[in-house]
Amino acid sequence: MTAAAHEETSEPTLPPAPLHVGWREIVILGFFGIATAAVAKVAPDLIPLAVAAAVAALVPRKHDWTTRAVLAAIAALLTLFVIRMWPAEAGVLPDVEHPPYEPTTLLSWLIGLPIAGAIAILFLPRQTPGLLRWVTLGVMFATLGASAFLLGVPMGRGFHFNQDIAWMPQLGIRYHVAVDGISLWLLLLTGIIMPIATYASFGSLQARLKDWCFALLLLEGAMMGALVSMDLFLFYVFWELMLIPMYVMIGVWGGSNRIKAALKFFLYTFFGSILMLGAILYVAYTYGRLNGGALSFDYFELQRVLYPQHLQIWLFGAFALAFLIKVPMFPFHTWLPDAHTEAPTAGSIILAAVMLKMGTYGYLRFCMGLFPEASIQFGANLAGVAVLGGILYGALCAWRQDDVKRVVAYSSVAHLGYVMLGLFAGTSSSIEGGVIQMINHGISTGALFLLVGVLYDRRHTRQLDEFGGLAKVMPVYCTLFIIITLSSIGLPGTNGFVGEFMVITGTFASNKLGHFNGIQAVGAALGVILGALYMLGVVQKVFFGPITRKENEKLTDINRRELLAVSPLVVLVFVIGFFPNLLLAPMHDACVRVQDDLEQRAAEHAAPVFYTGPLRLLARKSDAPNVPAPTSAPN
Amino acid sequence: MGAQILSLFPAANFSLIAVILALPLLGAFVNGVWGKRLGNDAVRVMALSAVGGSFLASVVTFIALASHVDAHIEGDHHEHVKLAWTAWQWMHTKAGFTGGNIPIDVRFSVDALSGVMMLVVTGIGFLIHLYSTAYMAEDPGFARFFAYMNLFIFAMLTLILADNLPVLFVGWEGVGLCSYLLIGFWYEKMPNAAAGKKAFIANRVGDFGLICGMFLLASYTGALDWTGIANGIGSLKDTTQDAYLIHVWPVGGGQYQGIFSFLQPHNPLTITAATAVGLALLLGCTGKSAQIPLYVWLPDAMAGPTPVSALIHAATMVTAGVYLICRLSFVFTLSPFVMMLIASVGAATALFAATIALVQNDIKKVLAYSTISQLGFMFLGVGVGAFTAGFFHVFTHAFFKACLFLCAGSVIHAMHARVHDDERAQDMRYMGALRKHMPITYWSFFASTLAIAGCPLTSGFFSKDEILYRSWVDHSVNPFADVLTRQKLEMFVPPQWLGPALYVVGVLAATLTAFYMFRALFMTFWGDEFRGWTIGRPSLVAAHASDDHDHHHDDLSVPGAAPKESPWQMTVPLIILATCAVVAGLIFNAGPINIPALHSMDHWLEPVFEPVARTVRLSEGAEGLTWPLAGGGILAFIIGTGVAYWMYIMEAGRPAEALADAAPGLYRLLLDKWRIDELYDATIIAAVDALADTSAAFDQTIVDGIVAKVPALLVSLFGSILRAFQTGVVHVYAAFMVIGLAFFGWFFVFPHPAATVTAVGKDTGDYIVTAAPGMGYQYRWDADGNGQFDSERTSDQMSVKVHLDEGKTQNVRVEATSAFGFSNSAAIPITRAASVKPMQLGLN
Repeated sequence: MTAAAHEETSEPTLPPAPLHVGWREIVILGFFGIATAAVAKVAPDLIPLAVAAAVAALVPRKHDWTTRAVLAAIAALLTLFVIRMWPAEAGVLPDVEHPPYEPTTLLSWLIGLPIAGAIAILFLPRQTPGLLRWVTLGVMFATLGASAFLLGVPMGRGFHFNQDIAWMPQLGIRYHVAVDGISLWLLLLTGIIMPIATYASFGSLQARLKDWCFALLLLEGAMMGALVSMDLFLFYVFWELMLIPMYVMIGVWGGSNRIKAALKFFLYTFFGSILMLGAILYVAYTYGRLNGGALSFDYFELQRVLYPQHLQIWLFGAFALAFLIKVPMFPFHTWLPDAHTEAPTAGSIILAAVMLKMGTYGYLRFCMGLFPEASIQFGANLAGVAVLGGILYGALCAWRQDDVKRVVAYSSVAHLGYVMLGLFAGTSSSIEGGVIQMINHGISTGALFLLVGVLYDRRHTRQLDEFGGLAKVMPVYCTLFIIITLSSIGLPGTNGFVGEFMVITGTFASNKLGHFNGIQAVGAALGVILGALYMLGVVQKVFFGPITRKENEKLTDINRRELLAVSPLVVLVFVIGFFPNLLLAPMHDACVRVQDDLEQRAAEHAAPVFYTGPLRLLARKSDAPNVPAPTSAPN
Repeated sequence: MGAQILSLFPAANFSLIAVILALPLLGAFVNGVWGKRLGNDAVRVMALSAVGGSFLASVVTFIALASHVDAHIEGDHHEHVKLAWTAWQWMHTKAGFTGGNIPIDVRFSVDALSGVMMLVVTGIGFLIHLYSTAYMAEDPGFARFFAYMNLFIFAMLTLILADNLPVLFVGWEGVGLCSYLLIGFWYEKMPNAAAGKKAFIANRVGDFGLICGMFLLASYTGALDWTGIANGIGSLKDTTQDAYLIHVWPVGGGQYQGIFSFLQPHNPLTITAATAVGLALLLGCTGKSAQIPLYVWLPDAMAGPTPVSALIHAATMVTAGVYLICRLSFVFTLSPFVMMLIASVGAATALFAATIALVQNDIKKVLAYSTISQLGFMFLGVGVGAFTAGFFHVFTHAFFKACLFLCAGSVIHAMHARVHDDERAQDMRYMGALRKHMPITYWSFFASTLAIAGCPLTSGFFSKDEILYRSWVDHSVNPFADVLTRQKLEMFVPPQWLGPALYVVGVLAATLTAFYMFRALFMTFWGDEFRGWTIGRPSLVAAHASDDHDHHHDDLSVPGAAPKESPWQMTVPLIILATCAVVAGLIFNAGPINIPALHSMDHWLEPVFEPVARTVRLSEGAEGLTWPLAGGGILAFIIGTGVAYWMYIMEAGRPAEALADAAPGLYRLLLDKWRIDELYDATIIAAVDALADTSAAFDQTIVDGIVAKVPALLVSLFGSILRAFQTGVVHVYAAFMVIGLAFFGWFFVFPHPAATVTAVGKDTGDYIVTAAPGMGYQYRWDADGNGQFDSERTSDQMSVKVHLDEGKTQNVRVEATSAFGFSNSAAIPITRAASVKPMQLGLN
């Protein structure tokens, strides 16, 4: 269990001068092995400390104590995570009498901390870069720490940390936030990725630091908000709020062609958003008509509306377009390579790791939750697009790129094809696979962009033919890059495999894809070959062969900052690869709920006609938080 | 002793497996992370103790297994038992048609089959590790090499010991990864890196098949572990289910209308689910075991260090495909078609690879093609249902092929003392007469050559002979034949001539094997003259040159020291392996000639293959054919060896040259490996390349062009049009204002009646028609739809009430009169649906 945890944290070795005596490490390793076993027997709570001590002691001597301390802390936290999240033995019933404490304000802290931090940044002097950096990171770590409290509550089918306050009561707009097993992991992913991207960016980014910190914190708050909003209006506010900092980040700190890329990014996503806004207003208005004039934007109330199919497909279309552009899915994906190429490293990491997930999350939550019949009706065809236009086409395009960032960008199109396929297939296994694939993509692609940024900082180019033979001069970097590559191509034992496997098997078992479940599973499996083709092509061109360029002979290996930034991601690759159940167990029931909701509605009004009668209000779902809505009772 | 072990580690929770697996992983970790600091000595100790410890644990496990097996023998019945250990729950997936949830545990088990493989992997693995400590001693990547090798042992053990397909897949891809890393071990040479990538991708093509096999099995049998698959196997052949047939074309069994409907055949093209599973798994096996069509990576894989070729690309990893077929034998035998395909692929590969090996001059290439050919024999064996024979060949092949590769490595090591060009150091044309200089290597090579060529009483003879015999007499039978006959469903029956044909191809391949192996032996070790360099007292110049090792400028025309025998770390493994290669067959075969000391392989594996025994029928008179058919194998050995002896010793290679001159085209074709690589390049790879080029171009021009540029164009077009109105001339604005005012005026003067219909209550038939308000409008109505307005006068009445019977339609008309006296009317048809209540239908 702990082997995976400290497997790669101690990777950065291979010091330049080999020593003749090297038994020290073996002795230490043996000692700590025995010590950990003893501690596990005597005081299991101290295992993380033992792991931390072992990692700190085993980090090669060239590193100073801060590196050791940070690596040890990362190892200890991840060990703690594994121990705490380890699925309970079967038969252990949850303590009904004393349910875990659920502070209703926790989610507001998650949103509020970064936004308050962003505002605080505005009052700090521009001339103190150190202070700005520490405040930004401090706020982000505080947010991450707060989000760890989410893990204390067993998620089950329902929603937790429910906070529901009237905001604009005349219009039925409420501040309603809640979290379930699906958004839980996306929140944590955001919490982890943001400090990593920020910390990595401080190494190379000097200009306009204050604005940069402000943008990052605002972005984090907005993303957290979008993930927990259970009020469509609130969701829309956060959804658009996300757009602005990212637009600025690409436009201000981006590459040479940044203005065009930023504009393209903005226009694409905004186009979809506007349609979604129209649809949101329409559904709220419809609800009001059915409910005697009282409008509501509340997700759980709007779920009650049963639309006739001819109406539902338009509403579904408006929502789906917004989300699918964000994902992005063929043919709306071309903003992504441009945005990635021009964005600064941290921007790329956040964009790939978290922002794209807003599209997939939004589809899962809102399209499938509000318009189940329509999402079944279009699922089969959209799944075809996900396979052909995402998994296969994205991979083929990635193979033909000569800029590393573009390769990774197109690989995102392919990976998100898996996610979307899992959602379209709509079985519990494929949805779980889709959600875990979102997390995996966040980790692998985030780490890939981080590592590409390392190369870019040294050479100021990302063209593949500028490199070659780097394994010789950057061995640690090369090792890390290959590990992440393997995760990206879904080697079993790394995180990538779990998601792909569950999506593919879940797709084949799906009954929502018409005749095509088989061929779509096969197509998705074909993507496995293509993934190896383009990623190993990159590895071969960059790292293997002789060093062909003089500039590359003197490249320095990965430095402390970069190493510390990437190490948690590398460890997570193995933690999720070996123990996916840590993530799957809390989300399982929520994914089953999504599947049940879909199938229940499909059973009431069967395909292909679905429901054609007048608009109706159904009963409130039993899984919805039981805070009664202030509007009138269900008809 | 076994009982004591079992009391310590109960069979259901045999945690000693953890030790077997963990030691190599620990070795890989320590050597990988601290290798450079530890120094070569510590790395050597770590690597050897890791694999050695794993081997010891395997032996203990095997003893426990044997006693566990003995405890479960009841009379003749020999129960299939295993020792299992569950580490933790890994993930889960959906069971498809059965709807349940399949838990996928990280679970390992040892049974008779995996027990043997486990011993082979750790035992031969240890010997090869020992060998490598000397072979790689000078290499700067010493620690990295052993990290990869230990990782490989771990992955291979995971593959073998896995108790379910996904965990097996971890090992399956893990060995592929180690193979990739080790082929490209000297990554600074681009061809090596490319060969590694080629191996990985060819294997991935196979893995694609394995993934497909996994989701099919998960959906049909509702399980992915061996026991679960065996229990659920019936649903693959459940002819009452629709899913019994998989529609290949039209995809999924749909019916299509439209312009492409002509592509739809009259009868849909279907295969049974069992065949689909078998084909998918077979693709995986051909990838890993280097069979046609995916064998192309194995010859290139020889770019790695020679011990790697011995361990990974001969003795262990490449037999994983055969292992999987044995492991899932009960799945494969469900489809006689797939069984026939396995046998045919095996026979074809055996012969095809042997023809290439005939003319190769690189000693490692000869052995590489020989490996492919021998793997073909194994496929032939398992394909005809002789699983024990096929697996026995895996077992014996591991010894003699590992030994052959290590001998080749020993020779190359000796050649490398002066020849620094890799290609030349491996070229048999520059060797010869080495038996005088390297006697241990020679005798080991000789013993293994006898074994691989099938010399009677050596191990290769017993295993190969059994395969050849069974390929003639075995017939696969559909295990559900009665059911299918009763339901009058057609089933596939392999042709009668298949058995004899396979036998003939097999004997032919065996003859070629004997020929090319003895050719290699003669070219390398026999003859009177060493052709590498002149042997003599090293002159001063030469001594100086050999000091200058790194510069690769050694002048080979200068006399130098004779090639030396390798150090003990290299020769001891050779001796052990050569001994096993000779005697393993005698000990473990089930035929009439054996040493009855231990279980025969047949008896030992009987419970594993018991479920499939009834799917194989021996032809009549098979008993009497034992010796006649064995004659073919012996004849193959005699002819192959004799021709090689005549050609290369008696005539000193002249007939070979004459043959090459007589048919230069064929000779070149063989030398170029039938140019299959070029064929693949020109067809499949070119096609994928073209597809990728097209996709990238399509993405740049069409997708980006249409999605991004067309809206931009539209917007700018509208912008241009609207801009034209913004002239800045006040007169024009005033004119527009007048036009606008006139329009509004017209709208107010002439009325525009409209009305909305609202139903009263739920399906009461009462409707209220409400007219849209207008400035100063007066209305009159025709509510009953008789064409006449209800009153002559207009009034303020804005709405009327209408009652309709079910299924009726009525045309209500409204006339509006504006304040200026102009009037206009509109008709509003109202329809009440017949008493169909769609909502109730849906709700019930």
